[in-house]
Amino acid sequence: MNVLIVEDERSLAREIADFLKSENFLCDIANTGTEASEKIAINLYDFVLLDLGLPDYNGIDLLKEAKKINSEASFIIITARGAVEDKVKGLDLGADDYLPKPFALIELLSRINAVARRKFNVTNPDVILGDFTMQVHARKLICKETEVDLTKKEYDLLQYLVLNSNKVLTRQQLYEHIWGNILDDQYDSNFIDVHIKNLRKKLNLHAPSPWLETVRGVGYRVSTGHKE
Amino acid sequence: MTGYPMLKLKFKLSLFNLLSKIVFTGMFLLLMPYIIERINLKYVDNDLVQKREQVLSLISDIGIEPFITSDSSFGSFNILKEEFISIERISLEEDLNFIEESSRLIDDEEIEYRVLNYSFKIDDQPYLLEVGKSLESISATGKNIRSVMLVFLAFIIIITFVTDTQYTRILLTPLERIKDKLKMISDPSLFDNAPVKTNTSDFHKLDCALCEVMENLGTLFQKEKEITVNISHELMTPISVLRSKLENLLLKEDLNYDTSAKLEDSLKTLHRLQSLVNSLLMIARIESNQYLREDSFQLRELLKDIILELDPIAEDADIMIRNDLKDDILMKEANRSLVFSMFYNVANNALKNTPTGGNVLISTSLNQEKFIVAISDTGRGLTEVQKETLFSRFKTRDKNSGEGTGIGLAIAKTIADFHKIKISVASELEKGTTFSFTFSGNS
Repeated sequence: MNVLIVEDERSLAREIADFLKSENFLCDIANTGTEASEKIAINLYDFVLLDLGLPDYNGIDLLKEAKKINSEASFIIITARGAVEDKVKGLDLGADDYLPKPFALIELLSRINAVARRKFNVTNPDVILGDFTMQVHARKLICKETEVDLTKKEYDLLQYLVLNSNKVLTRQQLYEHIWGNILDDQYDSNFIDVHIKNLRKKLNLHAPSPWLETVRGVGYRVSTGHKE
Repeated sequence: MTGYPMLKLKFKLSLFNLLSKIVFTGMFLLLMPYIIERINLKYVDNDLVQKREQVLSLISDIGIEPFITSDSSFGSFNILKEEFISIERISLEEDLNFIEESSRLIDDEEIEYRVLNYSFKIDDQPYLLEVGKSLESISATGKNIRSVMLVFLAFIIIITFVTDTQYTRILLTPLERIKDKLKMISDPSLFDNAPVKTNTSDFHKLDCALCEVMENLGTLFQKEKEITVNISHELMTPISVLRSKLENLLLKEDLNYDTSAKLEDSLKTLHRLQSLVNSLLMIARIESNQYLREDSFQLRELLKDIILELDPIAEDADIMIRNDLKDDILMKEANRSLVFSMFYNVANNALKNTPTGGNVLISTSLNQEKFIVAISDTGRGLTEVQKETLFSRFKTRDKNSGEGTGIGLAIAKTIADFHKIKISVASELEKGTTFSFTFSGNS
């Protein structure tokens, strides 16, 4: 998929591009609004990541303009302005999602994937995890034909790990995804540990879950691929 | 200002108007009899002099003889004995010309008169002319004048009071309008800048001055908001760059344990910086009214959500969260996620300060029409000094009591103020602390 990254902070744009390339996206970078406007006019993009705070261009205007020229593209706004008005305005103008800076790259990827799934109406295939099967579309975890009883938080946590499987997710990335920014100050790595502990306890009642790994000093990872 | 009743300017002016009229009327009533008497006498005396002149001119026309024959005197009364004129010969040499009050006996009746005495000579013979008017008739005239004046006075007072009051009201209308404009203004940008119609220069100046002040304030507020946004942009961008770089590094597969642990630690530190900036921005945004208050929700549901959220953590620490949510309230015009954040911060704080085996109680109650949410813990309690600095920014009780930035309670306080909720703290050392949230009547 083609992604245009509109971001005036060059090194941030580069990091995002590096990350998305490693996820097999084709990336293009525009560091100014004018450049972005030109690139959108010439190329067809599937995704435009748009920083609203551009020095030479009003981000909202750019969004309107880009929507007109390239109506097929999906837009994700990234901005350091967390003000509610901006968010509402951006989504009203047809942006598909909104991500306040600073965000985790993993979170950006899941948003892009979520938008793509919505757009192409693709449901996630079931994921096999040892003796467990995660039915992502039904939000269910099945083990030997019985449903594992998980709380909403536990399920969200597991699904996030599963959708980003084979990547180590830090406690902070997990916390941010589940609890969002509003409780930022109360961030406590213990929260995630407690939930993972409970999650493991519930899983192990049904079957062993070696695929849910603790990566010492970093975080957690769900490994698919190499089965026991 | 305390101790005196507050009155509207309009009423004060009317009151003064009325009082001054009463005082003037009182003075007038006190002085009126004296004045009327003086005026009355003056007129009577003039009248007597005029009559004297008429008699004298009559005498000079037709002579003294028709009135007086030798040794007799002349006297004339009207029927009601209110006036009389008399002429008599006298033997006195000196000239007489004065007015006095004396009594006359007429038909066995003694009547008080005001009498003009005047002497004149005809052919060297002196005569005395007396012209009199009874005092009774004089005072009757005075009474008439007085009652007419009283009626007139009452009429004038009523008319002027009514017109004065009405005029004051009309005059003060622009002031009322200016007052209305100022009412209910929580933000200068909401001020109505349209000028108030008035031809009183003072009001016009006041209105202009207010408009100008509001405009300046509005600009300042706007600037403050812009500064907040700009600072957030300036700070968040470098944090974003660093974060992306570290995350990308962490994704590399050939890292040894040491490096990845250090990277994770750096990310953690960076995250602390991020939450710090976020918290400060959140407070700044709440204080400059950048959050909407458009949600309506039942508070019990929200508190249940919080308990659900915290239960796993509490269980893990072997702390029991009890609840007693017998009363409920519908919050209107509130921001749900902010209110959630407020209770969550305080409850989480309580949890952190409760030792293993302790408990946290979340309860609601109605006390004298006021809705109260209380969050109590069985923790160490607070000293007086700690209580005072509890809601100030960056003062954690204990540097080791968690990874928060110590700004959670400051945020809670800001959110409470934003929703007009009063937070109070009661604490006893080694027993525990209770945070009470008192809701104002409007929610």
